[in-house]
Amino acid sequence: MSARGIVAGTADAIVVRSVSKSFGAAAGGLKVLDDISLNVANGRFVTLVGPSGCGKSTLLQIIAGLVPASEGEILIEGEPLAGPRPSATGIVFQDALLLPWKTAAQNVEFPLALRGGDATRRRARALDMLALVGLAEVAESYPHQLSGGMRQRVAIARGLVEDPKILLMDEPFAALDEQTRTKMGGELLQIWERSSKTILFITHGLTEAIFLADTVLVMQARPGRIVERIDVELPRPRSYDMIGSEYFGRVRNQIWHLLAEQVP
Amino acid sequence: MKTTVVSTSIFAAQVAIAAAAAVAWEFVSRRGIVNPELLPPLSDVLATLWQLLHDPRFLADLRVTAVEVLVSFLIVAPTSIVLGFFLAETPAVARLVNPVFHALMAIPKSIFLPIFILALGIGFTQKIVFGAVLAFFVIVVYAEAAVASVPSGFVTLGRAIGASRGQIYARIYLPAMLPLIIAGLRIGFIFVVTGVLLAEMYSAPVGVGRAIVHWGEYYEIRKLLAAVLLIVFACIVINQLLEAWERSSGTGRFNFGAIA
Repeated sequence: MSARGIVAGTADAIVVRSVSKSFGAAAGGLKVLDDISLNVANGRFVTLVGPSGCGKSTLLQIIAGLVPASEGEILIEGEPLAGPRPSATGIVFQDALLLPWKTAAQNVEFPLALRGGDATRRRARALDMLALVGLAEVAESYPHQLSGGMRQRVAIARGLVEDPKILLMDEPFAALDEQTRTKMGGELLQIWERSSKTILFITHGLTEAIFLADTVLVMQARPGRIVERIDVELPRPRSYDMIGSEYFGRVRNQIWHLLAEQVP
Repeated sequence: MKTTVVSTSIFAAQVAIAAAAAVAWEFVSRRGIVNPELLPPLSDVLATLWQLLHDPRFLADLRVTAVEVLVSFLIVAPTSIVLGFFLAETPAVARLVNPVFHALMAIPKSIFLPIFILALGIGFTQKIVFGAVLAFFVIVVYAEAAVASVPSGFVTLGRAIGASRGQIYARIYLPAMLPLIIAGLRIGFIFVVTGVLLAEMYSAPVGVGRAIVHWGEYYEIRKLLAAVLLIVFACIVINQLLEAWERSSGTGRFNFGAIA
């Protein structure tokens, strides 16, 4: 159950080894991440849950190659990470960040368009991804014509368009209302099952964290560190009814106590 | 689809309103409801305009004014956009300069016209400089706002999907800023026209502004109104062209509320 002592295996899509991050001067700066180690096996769905300000978003940005770690090492598919590697890792942010002057299909195609290549094939790939997230019919719509949930699905399609093995998700449903958030969780699981990706999903919602995950990593703040690793022993496919089960309640309670210990 | 139908019927209604105003003008003047010496019928004014457009003297005035506006705009637009970008990217300088800019924006710049004339004479240079000075501040402020309007998340997104620095500027930053840049240019253009015409009306050997003042003094109300109508039409057309540019770049569908 401990977060420590993880040994990297060849089957690990993501390996994080003793990563620390400080902002400001190295010695007197603010330490936001302290000796983080984790691994995510190929094809698994791992959630990272923690209070606001525990550094979980920073950790995701480090794994995405957007922010350098102060110490430690990241391996993506066995290779050390030096910067963003969009062919290996797709990313979905809390804001959908769709470009408002592009249609849904053009937004999904954008990462491919940056690299040029055959326009017909790019376009077909973008439409396939929109179909995967159930939005084939709004391909020609602009972001402002879509609901918040639809925009986030377009962002997921964009994250998958280069067929990365790994999808990093930074609280992607946090801006949505609760009903939509729950529904999106179910849809994400279906997309995951169809596309067989490795997903690392950040959230501060306990229910969401348990419902989606094979494994939940629990973080505490100041400095951010992983305090527990919980394997969720619920069968797949998940159903919304499982949220009301006794087992679910017990795990939820366990995580709640881990996070509540911290509240001053 | 629905939007198209609505905008078509709105356009039809707008045309109808303009047509009704034209008919009302013709009617009140022909019936003598207003003094026809002050407001001649629209048809007379349009006939006068047709004659003016064949009058070499007026065409020369028109050419001078058009060239002054064009040169003034072509100088001030790139200069103030570049300065706006620079200020947006260097907050330390912006902190020093912005209060001065905002103060200068607040004052009526027309009171400086006599100084411009003393310094630059009443010729071509003075007209384009005055027009450019009038437009300068507003375009700078819009360009600054355009940079600030780009959500920082767009840059993170660009890096995450592997965009180069050049691609982030050309394919994310620039299109994201375009609506406010074009808005600034549209307002700036109106300021340039205002500045050039004002300078011509105050003192100039040639130009439409000079002609309008002249016809006012000599009570040639038909010619006066014909020239005014011409400027109104020209400005509306240019404004519409700038709007069409905005739409064709796809940014007319812009809605920053829809980013999340």
